[in-house]
Amino acid sequence: MSGHPQFEEDFELYALGVLDGSEKAALEEHLPACADCRRKIEEARTRMSLLALSAPPVAPPDGARERLIQRFRADMARQSDRRQIRSNVVQFRPRIWAPVWAAAAVLLLAAAAWLAVENHKLAAQLAQLETTHRQLEESEQQLREQGARAEAALDILTAPDTVKVELTPVAARPVPHGKAFYNPSQGLLFYAANLQTLRPDQTYELWLIPSEGAPVDAGLFKADLRGNGEVILPPLPHGLTAKAFAVTVEPAGGVPSPTGPKVLIGPVS
Amino acid sequence: MELTTRPDQDARDSDATLVARILNGDEAALGVLYDRYGALVFSVSQRILRDTGAAEEVLQDVFHQLWRVAATFDLARGSLSSWLMVMARNRSIDRLRRRVLPVAENLTETLPPARLNLESDVAQNEMIRRVRSALDSLPEPQRKAMELAYFEGLTQSEIADRTGDPLGTVKTRLRTALGTLRRAFSES
Repeated sequence: MSGHPQFEEDFELYALGVLDGSEKAALEEHLPACADCRRKIEEARTRMSLLALSAPPVAPPDGARERLIQRFRADMARQSDRRQIRSNVVQFRPRIWAPVWAAAAVLLLAAAAWLAVENHKLAAQLAQLETTHRQLEESEQQLREQGARAEAALDILTAPDTVKVELTPVAARPVPHGKAFYNPSQGLLFYAANLQTLRPDQTYELWLIPSEGAPVDAGLFKADLRGNGEVILPPLPHGLTAKAFAVTVEPAGGVPSPTGPKVLIGPVS
Repeated sequence: MELTTRPDQDARDSDATLVARILNGDEAALGVLYDRYGALVFSVSQRILRDTGAAEEVLQDVFHQLWRVAATFDLARGSLSSWLMVMARNRSIDRLRRRVLPVAENLTETLPPARLNLESDVAQNEMIRRVRSALDSLPEPQRKAMELAYFEGLTQSEIADRTGDPLGTVKTRLRTALGTLRRAFSES
């Protein structure tokens, strides 16, 4: 069904987030095609926001205002630092550097041939340089996207309320190792090292173990040839308080709740 | 002798002016908006969470979100006070029920052209009086159903489970209450 809602009150119930499953689904199916209903929902949202005024008035705790101002001051200072970093990054233009890298790659190629074909170290450096060269030639759009992700990562790494969690192995060997940087309002970064390479039908799955309730899937990842893996900014419910993080081995494609062996676990201290 | 009248001027500045100043890193402007709306945000969070510490976290979180997304606000179109109240309620219910309510955090998506202006104490007090009087005019079962929906974020079926009333009765109560409130809120 995708017609207009039967009752005007459906807009308010939807705006309150209290419409039950099938009614909610029917309205959501209809909304994208109906500007009139979208406008009505916005109006209902404003009307319903007024119900907040019926809460008994309570003054915020002493010091709440000062704490807010302090946080603002710290954020502004960080933003100014980031602008500085960004302005440095902007100067590192691929167009300017690409010919330099290209020339260096050619030189290295000649040098590698001249020295020894089997010089594995140099070949590895060359491969790395070529990779760098290719990366530099990527579009500016990609750079901007990476910049936005880097900025989001920087936000998490520099926020005063970000917790850093060390994950240690469940078994003594091999010695895998993980680090989670988690901020309930900004997201999660996770890096792991020394993990075993899994079979193609397996995957590592990261879990956020909330202070209440079942573990939440925080993303799938593979270990590369050196055993490194990462999960960057997985979609998570906003504001979840974490008790711990864990990594399990699961069937490829992942599972909704952990079934396989725990490889890493780390409580939030 | 007063050398400046800035604090008085601040208190008269519109929400739009204050948000623009916040974007320029002006902490005095944030202070004025906090003085204007902090108690409203805190009161609704405290009513939902009934925990002073958690309610302050929501208060801090909502204002933090304000300056993070302020650049996307179109205050010519929407009302900041509505946005703050929607955010306060959603973040609080989110914590209470570990459930994410549908909300767009961008004012331009969240709010219609708004006649609602709660920038002055007088306007706030008048609106508080109207909302309370409208809720007080509801029969008790309707008012109770509205409170469970708004302050506890329960769906219609969850309200029926909680009160032991048939789902159809709960739906009728909510719809009747919402009709009454809509008329009360739109009267000028």
